Amino acid sequence: MRRTPIIISLLIGLLVLAGLGWGSAAWSRAHERRWSGRLDLELVSCNHCHLKIENLPWAQPSRRHSAPAGLAVSPDNRKVYIALDERNEVVEADGVTLAITRRLEVRGGPFGLAIDAKGERLYATCRDGDRVVAIDLATFREVESLAIGAGPVAATYCDTQEGGRLVIANSVSDNISVVSLSPFKELARPQAGREPYAVAAAPDGSIAFVANRLAVPENYYSMASSELTLVDPSKGKLLLRSPFESAHLAEGIAVAPGRGWALTPLIKVRNLVPITQVANGWVMSSGLAIADAKGSIIQMPLDEAHDYFADPSGIAVDAAGKRAFIVSGGSDTVTVVDLELLARWLAGASDQAKREAIDDLSLSAEYVVARIPTGRNPRHATLSPDGKRLYVSERLEDAVLAVDTAALKPIGRIRLGDGGQTDPIRRGERVFTQAAHTFQRQFSCRSCHPDGHVDGLSYDFDGDGIGDNLLDNRSLQGVAGTSPLKWNGKNPSLQVQCGVRFARVLMRTDPIPGAELDDLAAYLNSLPPPRWARRHRQVLTPAQERGRRIFFATLTPAGEPIPRERQCHVCHRPPLYSNRLMSSVGTRGSLDPSDLFDTPHLLGVAYTAPYLHDGRAKTLEELWTTYQTNDLHGVSSYMNKHQLNDLVEFLKTL
Amino acid sequence: MKIAGIFCLRLASLVTLLWLTAPLQILATEAELPLPVIERFETFGKEQGVPTNKVHAVLKTSDGKLWIGTWDGLCVREGEGKFRRYGPEEGLSHKLVTCMVEDPKTGDLWAGTMRGLNKVSGGKITRYFQTDSGLPNNVVYGVDIVNDNIWAATAAGVGALDLKTGAWKIYDHNNSNMHEPWCYAVKGAKDLIYIGVWGAGIVEHNPQEGTFKAYRDPDGDFHYDLVPDDGPINDITSWLAWNDGLLWQCTYFGMSRYDGKYWKTWVQDKTPLPSNFTQFAWPVNRYCWIGTDKGASVTDGTNWVNYFVGEAGAGWVEIHQSGKAMEKRPMSTALCNGFVLGIWADEKEAWLATSKGLSRGIFASGTASGKVAVVK
Repeated sequence: MRRTPIIISLLIGLLVLAGLGWGSAAWSRAHERRWSGRLDLELVSCNHCHLKIENLPWAQPSRRHSAPAGLAVSPDNRKVYIALDERNEVVEADGVTLAITRRLEVRGGPFGLAIDAKGERLYATCRDGDRVVAIDLATFREVESLAIGAGPVAATYCDTQEGGRLVIANSVSDNISVVSLSPFKELARPQAGREPYAVAAAPDGSIAFVANRLAVPENYYSMASSELTLVDPSKGKLLLRSPFESAHLAEGIAVAPGRGWALTPLIKVRNLVPITQVANGWVMSSGLAIADAKGSIIQMPLDEAHDYFADPSGIAVDAAGKRAFIVSGGSDTVTVVDLELLARWLAGASDQAKREAIDDLSLSAEYVVARIPTGRNPRHATLSPDGKRLYVSERLEDAVLAVDTAALKPIGRIRLGDGGQTDPIRRGERVFTQAAHTFQRQFSCRSCHPDGHVDGLSYDFDGDGIGDNLLDNRSLQGVAGTSPLKWNGKNPSLQVQCGVRFARVLMRTDPIPGAELDDLAAYLNSLPPPRWARRHRQVLTPAQERGRRIFFATLTPAGEPIPRERQCHVCHRPPLYSNRLMSSVGTRGSLDPSDLFDTPHLLGVAYTAPYLHDGRAKTLEELWTTYQTNDLHGVSSYMNKHQLNDLVEFLKTL
Repeated sequence: MKIAGIFCLRLASLVTLLWLTAPLQILATEAELPLPVIERFETFGKEQGVPTNKVHAVLKTSDGKLWIGTWDGLCVREGEGKFRRYGPEEGLSHKLVTCMVEDPKTGDLWAGTMRGLNKVSGGKITRYFQTDSGLPNNVVYGVDIVNDNIWAATAAGVGALDLKTGAWKIYDHNNSNMHEPWCYAVKGAKDLIYIGVWGAGIVEHNPQEGTFKAYRDPDGDFHYDLVPDDGPINDITSWLAWNDGLLWQCTYFGMSRYDGKYWKTWVQDKTPLPSNFTQFAWPVNRYCWIGTDKGASVTDGTNWVNYFVGEAGAGWVEIHQSGKAMEKRPMSTALCNGFVLGIWADEKEAWLATSKGLSRGIFASGTASGKVAVVK
């Protein structure tokens, strides 16, 4: 008897709970459908739309490490200068004792260094501050500062007939600042390729060579080629542009005195080859481009047939033009190239042999004379003017390695920090930059995602092996909170994305161990969208404000309602500017298995060209001109050119 | 007899002297002209690699290279005088090149075409279309560079690309006082931009202040300049040029000049202007070369030197010097065609793009090509 009320109460309770559950589900579904305008949605979690930027990992303070970037050595060989961009510092170290002697705070992330011929002034390019500063080396004080293009990462000093000049690579604004030193002012800012990243000057100061890291997006089925840009340092005039054919990620450049060569380490990329061909060593390999002042370029391999030296970046050439030292950030190696042997091979090679040289990995044995192991992630290299010491910035070791160039042996390190082993983000960056996890050490994560960003290419990721059906490479900067991942939205987390399947399809080796995978995810989640700090909460210009209104419009200017599912802000919902759902925007290609693609977030979208799932749109404008279908990707048919330009200007602010 | 003999001898000597110095006297006459005088023309056509007869634009860049924009591609004159062609096969957006300008800082060449804007930089062509950039329209009639901004006059307004930020601005009838969006010319004048609008006169834009001021034909008559010197001669602006404080307006109904305060107008019936159909102006110092459908002129507003071609291909020059009778002289070699579409000139030579070839004008030695005329 006593049990009956309890059972009845329980039944009533269960009915109430079921009713509440059913009611909540019905309400949630109706809520989703009301706000998304889509009737095909099942239940999705609230955080698809309701999340806060300030809660994301990349918005949290993170540890700043003493990661060395650009290097310079005083003309008397006695002092080494090191840029520490994360810590906003430039430090001076003794070339003999390798002890740090002076420190200077330089705001804006000093990254590239150049020193004048007399050793009186050091110039530091500030990547985040968009400026170059002059440091008086007698007092070790910042004495002048000059606003230049965006994201300056490298500079070279040129002694021209018209005075001293700096030629600076502005990696974000894709141009080159040519600066006179007296007075300290910008003379010209010629346009470069995409992401100019390294600069070197001919010994007579007549030409500056600028290596561009990425290829400018063209037809997505065409071969990607980044660019070598030649500039007249005296006046800033652009002399020549020459393509690094089917190659990119050119992050270093040096001139070989007496040979008329500009040498650029780069990655020979074969993104149009099916990714299944990794096993044959045919997706990317390291090369050295030899360019002359007329823009003729020959690419030579740096890898060996079964052993690769991924992510070549910094390069230094001795004053006699006899040896080149190339650092490989993915394989922790300095490759020593005998330029005499290289010249000898070139002298005896036919034009066809020179054209095909980059594909013959056995050739490197002809001129690579040594491989010197380094600490983690060497990125920059410089030689003392007397050629006796090579200094290599071991970026993720917080150290600069000193190498005796006669013995080709390390002789010590300038210790800048502890290497950050206790920091999971730093450990994750080590995983990210390490080629050891791929078959024959062919590439690292960074090989396709330089600095966690895009390489601007589309790859054939399908396992069908037919060399078609490309997928645009997406930025990992700002990836936190944007899951599911991949264009097909199949991967729920970074751990899954970078885990077993990735190892089987792409790395062709054992998966990254679990602990390292967690560190890798921590690192990727720590990456903010490109230049977020500079753009966030900036006051909009009138054009950007007009564009914002278009983005959030619910009616056309004529008062016609825009269907909810085709309003920009519904799918690209703030704050990530993505509702993280699959959407059909009329872009399915003939070989795509579905109409539905993951809705990408738009934070930093201006920096991630090309666009759409296969990278078919070179520019943002093309999304609503060439590749818009029946107003499926937002209603744009009412827009005139003013409105489209305004919308694009707004998108650039995200 | 002896006296008579001496007289005859002196007379003969005088006649001989006058005969011998006659060319010098002509030169002396021309030396008083504050304008260059072309002595003869050299002609360039298919034999020299010019791909087509119709040459729309000509420009000599600061590195000494001569560029021509033709009906069939963009060409640059290389060593030995041959022209090398860049067409759509080399990446040019369209084969018909309408206009060109050089970026004085970087040396990049910008070329407008009937379908898109092109930047020729270090041997590489970068294209800008209305579908993949902020360019207002693909039909580009005029280009200029002002303060690191490339301005393009198009069939749907003018567009300005900020070369440092990559941002575009568009001005047309929606956001300026243009009567219509069809723009034929754009020209920078220190801190101002002059926009030549088809059927809407000239629009003066101050980018700093964001203001626009329209200059329209005050008499409003389509065919006749009822009141001379009262403003732009006509609202149909076919070209604009500016140099040294003087704005020159070409129309199909005469020519105008504006010095910032006063207007001056010329029509063919009342002035030495060869034709009302003027379509190109190229100022040097404070005088101006003018391309018309009936020949080329150079004038400082007071004096005129006009070059014509007859039906048989013979050329002549007419010199209108203030206070003197018009002097007409045959030329040993003629301008290749009277329909002049584009001009580039400095104080040493003049290049003229015509509808039937390219001509180079060789200046007569001793003519005061570099003198500055006083504008009254």
